[in-house]
Amino acid sequence: MDLTTGSGPELDETGLDSLQLGEDIRHLIAAPSENASSFTALLELPANQAVELLHSDSGRKQYPNLTFPSNTALLERAAIFSVFHSSNSADSSSVPSNSSSKSLEKGSAVKCEQLETETYLDSCQPLVSDPTVDNSAPNARPSSKRKEREKKVKAASKKSKSESSQQEEEKLPYVHVRARRGQATDSHSLAERARREKINQRMKLLQELVPGCNKISGTALVLDEIINHVQSLQRHVEFLSMRLAAVNPGMDFNVDSLLAAESGSLIDSNFPNMAMPLMWPEAQVNGNRHQFQQHWQFDSLQQPVWGREEDSHNFITPENSHLSYDSSANSASLHSNQLKMEGRMKLHQ
Amino acid sequence: MTTKHVIATAHTRSIKNRFARRFLRSLLKMKRSNRLGTGFQSNEDIRKRNTQRIKTAADRSMARVVGPRKIWSRALLFKLRNRARIQVGLRNRCLVSKKKKVQRKEKKVQVISREPNRADNLRKLVPGGDSMDICSLLEETAHYIKCLATQVKVMQSIADLYST
Repeated sequence: MDLTTGSGPELDETGLDSLQLGEDIRHLIAAPSENASSFTALLELPANQAVELLHSDSGRKQYPNLTFPSNTALLERAAIFSVFHSSNSADSSSVPSNSSSKSLEKGSAVKCEQLETETYLDSCQPLVSDPTVDNSAPNARPSSKRKEREKKVKAASKKSKSESSQQEEEKLPYVHVRARRGQATDSHSLAERARREKINQRMKLLQELVPGCNKISGTALVLDEIINHVQSLQRHVEFLSMRLAAVNPGMDFNVDSLLAAESGSLIDSNFPNMAMPLMWPEAQVNGNRHQFQQHWQFDSLQQPVWGREEDSHNFITPENSHLSYDSSANSASLHSNQLKMEGRMKLHQ
Repeated sequence: MTTKHVIATAHTRSIKNRFARRFLRSLLKMKRSNRLGTGFQSNEDIRKRNTQRIKTAADRSMARVVGPRKIWSRALLFKLRNRARIQVGLRNRCLVSKKKKVQRKEKKVQVISREPNRADNLRKLVPGGDSMDICSLLEETAHYIKCLATQVKVMQSIADLYST
């Protein structure tokens, strides 16, 4: 690894070199990343840098000199932002916070008000771009910074483990959360933070469900979007039920075959089994339905091809040959059969 | 998030199937009862009544498919059952005497008084949302949105198949 002054690609090279450890860290992160607290998100973002930090921990202090300046800047900013939310100072609280958080592990969940961790997460986002900017800075950094870094790294690795253990313990009524560096270690605030993170996870889920919500930032607007979406869905259901009510008295005998069609199309593998037994009783009930029967037989023969859309042409052309039946009801039913198949295509989607 | 997504899609497909089947069965039942019953009402009223019936059938079948596992499905089933009972009761009492006003007994599961929150509009929309804390409200909303979407999809396809 050459030690030329840094640029973007250089960072990647060192990252590649420590890829193995990076993979391990990512596995460690991957498990709790589903319920990603903002801290693990922080850990994920500068994963490469964190990897290099650990490398430096193991003794290789030569080459990471260049990348570390950026990392220290990152860490300092992270520390600063975390400090921003609490009264503790960055350096002094690192050790006491670890010890006090251990004592707090036995604490129970009590509610208390605190600042949002969302801002913490949001503050992490702009930090990603900083390494590329700071990479060009010279590597003349005092060794005290490195010690701080190492402390942070140790704390980081511990915290990632505690996060993963937190996942297993989440099922318990009490949530044991280790305090993050620089954050208040009150049991109330811990519980509150855990609760808030749960809410944030759910909000993210909802943002994914509701289309167009990813770009909106801020819970209030997202909530409004969600409310609008639910209202529109409910109105849609009402509108569709109105449509169905309007249509319903018209088509009479179609319903039974429709049921067979729907249930058949929705249960792909079971169609040959289901449609036949469904078909026969209906055919017996209504005398003029034997034409349907023949359609259905033909359809079931074509069954294995139905999954694919491009075969819709094959259906329509043989269907047209049946037009010689020459009864109005029949042609209407033919048409409806074609529509059913097209509808089935849609359902398959 | 990927595993959750995979589970969600597999689940949705089966919800869709089950809902479709149940809904169609209820439609069939309604059609048969329509064939037997009506004649003395105007077409408009029939249609209005049928819309309501279809909507409640859709909601009920969706709630049944979801099962009692979710708060909103339970609350929805409860509401529908109460509404049916009240309507039947009203009809019976109307036959007896039209002058007496019937007082509805609304059973609320829980009355929780909170400060006006942004999410209380959401509570009104999601069935059973009054008695949920924000955390579970969000979870229920997510599931509810998913089920509403499948409901809309199925009903849309049925309506398309019906209407030439």
